[in-house]
Amino acid sequence: MDFLSNLALGFEVALTPINLLFALVGCLVGTLIGVLPGIGPVATVAMLLPLTFQLEPVSGLIMLAGIFYGAQYGGSTTAILVNLPGESSSVVTCLDGYQMARKGRAGAALAIAALGSFFAGTVSTALIALAAPPLAKLGQSFGAPEYFSLMLFGLIAAVALASGSVPKAIAMIFLGLLLGLVGTDANTGSERYTFGVAALSDGIGFVPLAIGLFGIGEIIANLAKGEESRSVLNQPIDKLWPNKQEFRRSVPAVLRGTALGSVLGVLPGGGAILSSFASYMVEKKISKNPGEFGHGAVEGVAGPEAANNAGAQTSFIPTLTLGIPGNAVMALMIGAMTIHGIQPGPLVMVEKPDLFWGLVVSMWIGNLMLLVINLPLIGMWVKLLQVPYRYLYLAVLVFCGIGVYAVGNSAFDVLLAAMFGAVGYMFIRLNCEAAPLLLGFILGPLMEENLRRAMLIGSGDPMIFVNRPISLGLLIATVLLIGVLLLPAARRGREEAFQEE
Amino acid sequence: MRKLLLTAAAVVMSVAAPLSSHAQNEPYPSRQVKLVVPYAPGGATDIVARVIAERMRTSLGQTVVVENKTGAFGILAMEEILKGKPDGHTLMVGNVSTNAITPLVYKDKMKFDYEKSITAVARLATIPAFLGATTAGDFKPKTLAELIEYGKKNPGKVRYTSAGIGSYPHYDAVIFAKRAGFDSVHVPARTGAAGMVGDLTNGDVHWAFINVASSAGLVRGGQIQPLAVITDKRMPEFPDVPTMAELGFPGVGTFNWQGLFAPAGTPQDVLVKINKAVNEALASDEVKAAIAKSSGTIVPTNSPAEAQAWAKQEMDVWKKIVAEANITVE
Repeated sequence: MDFLSNLALGFEVALTPINLLFALVGCLVGTLIGVLPGIGPVATVAMLLPLTFQLEPVSGLIMLAGIFYGAQYGGSTTAILVNLPGESSSVVTCLDGYQMARKGRAGAALAIAALGSFFAGTVSTALIALAAPPLAKLGQSFGAPEYFSLMLFGLIAAVALASGSVPKAIAMIFLGLLLGLVGTDANTGSERYTFGVAALSDGIGFVPLAIGLFGIGEIIANLAKGEESRSVLNQPIDKLWPNKQEFRRSVPAVLRGTALGSVLGVLPGGGAILSSFASYMVEKKISKNPGEFGHGAVEGVAGPEAANNAGAQTSFIPTLTLGIPGNAVMALMIGAMTIHGIQPGPLVMVEKPDLFWGLVVSMWIGNLMLLVINLPLIGMWVKLLQVPYRYLYLAVLVFCGIGVYAVGNSAFDVLLAAMFGAVGYMFIRLNCEAAPLLLGFILGPLMEENLRRAMLIGSGDPMIFVNRPISLGLLIATVLLIGVLLLPAARRGREEAFQEE
Repeated sequence: MRKLLLTAAAVVMSVAAPLSSHAQNEPYPSRQVKLVVPYAPGGATDIVARVIAERMRTSLGQTVVVENKTGAFGILAMEEILKGKPDGHTLMVGNVSTNAITPLVYKDKMKFDYEKSITAVARLATIPAFLGATTAGDFKPKTLAELIEYGKKNPGKVRYTSAGIGSYPHYDAVIFAKRAGFDSVHVPARTGAAGMVGDLTNGDVHWAFINVASSAGLVRGGQIQPLAVITDKRMPEFPDVPTMAELGFPGVGTFNWQGLFAPAGTPQDVLVKINKAVNEALASDEVKAAIAKSSGTIVPTNSPAEAQAWAKQEMDVWKKIVAEANITVE
């Protein structure tokens, strides 16, 4: 009954009024910054870090954690309403969420995203409580060769993100890989494709690229249309809530997304990024109507949103049980712990059970709060779409500008975003999709890094990828995936999808 | 709509007005002070900056904000503080990598002369390090002597990590391996100390110089085996871990430090004021507690001149290290 007593301890800590208050503050702030494009949880958590000095460590961590997962909820709102991915995880939500909004189903998309995220949050929090240590072990068994094979699998799967032509999708993936090469080479320190511009020495930022290609590109495309057809909506808004059929289609997608996200989130350094992409790919592959994806398929919102939130929650596992941060926000959480004199590592669970269990339980409470905050807001968000486009696009552009600038306090990034906006419009005109490009851009540098590390570890022998069982398994899965992609039936389905346009 | 625009214009003007009417001889600080940090939020340097900024607010009577300007080994942050007038309102919190190694190693990437453009105002804190080994897989060495022996028996098969090419843990490792007489392969981590602990614990690499703040919990949890501490005396918290000097490697390994830097043209009286405000912050209970808890030590400098002498001495030390390690960077 150790588990129950631990859980009771967790509730005891998380349900004190002060901790409830900080969970609420974190969720509210997180939702707000999630909705604003560009202003991400990393910058916000960093700014609020000094505020936690005066707090009890557990209250501070509860608030910071709330900001992190609150931002995941908020981020999907902008993705669905105005096609703006503020974070890598909401890129996928843009694909079908925005299309649903255009068809007047914005309310349904937002509700499904919130409910799916809540379900995923509940399951993955339970998972942290029940199985954190063994899951952390799984994460640790991933070294450079395993990551490389996983990224390779993800890259091949990126083809499935495209709803149109396969050759174009492959071309976009390669373009993304090329853009990902810009910056300083980690192993030699030499600069690549920076043209002597110091601001490019750390590479192109994700936010200017994503906001330019998706958000600004879409705005240009909308403005290029005639006055009447400019509105985001091309159909009147019908019922606010998801209908029965939408619910029925979402449930299995949410279940699968939760499972995928929970597992991938445990992998530090890149696992969580893959979760929403992976879920989208799975949903599209097993769907009876893959042609619907990219045109407002509800599964394409439900699955990735669940996966994304599950991954966000389980990314706490390596942080809390091993002291190894999997992403920038987790690094800040670790920083917050050290300031309070808690040395992150395997002993935190043993030495500070109140902190560990209090934080875990508060995550579930926070998810519940987010659901309560987000559902009533849906009506308001949807009304926003009825604002005349000539006002709406100006506001969106201003927020894009602020968001892009705020990431690195860099005017150069704003210029980059404007440039990628023009490129994004060109892509829309050429029927090239930006999602595979972004996945290539995200995975390329990770893949390169892990390839080179794996080769260093294997003393230059590529057999290292085959000799390690997990890596081998992933490579076999990649080969199978290529087989599926080349299979006549699959190809036929794809062509059908293409002709539907 | 018009009303909204008017309000917006009023807000913009009220923000801009104090900037334009800012006279030359107003007492420092006349507006918000900005601390530029050359790293992403969450690292040791960022946290030290944020802890101190919070307290300097009280001493200076103006808001003190932290701005992260990452990239180009700290050069972008330096360019940021050199952009405006050198009036002490834009300062940089640098560390041993950005403000001692970068000016020596990445001189060609700088559009300015470091020694003529940037001056130290105050030293803030130092953070000690471990020389640690992984305990994952079949890696046996539990002492420094065993690591060296293992390294000599398995040339080219032992790997170490660092925060990147030309970072101080990289120099430390090169110098150590050189003096100990074994070959080791460098596998740089891409994400600083966070990436380093991950690589050490999953066995991708075997050993590294890693700061105590990032690794103390893992050392106590048995995931990283401490072979030595980089301190003058043994650490009270880890009394069984010998110092590098005890093991026959005096002077090997870096105390990472954080310092406050300003453009060289900043008036002397402003520098003195900043130095004083920093020292008041460092003497406050909150800052002392926060830095002590992250295993750091506060080492204040009593005047800008003292800080400048210290910074110069650090540069001289690093000139020798850079020459001995002979790492090629492009």
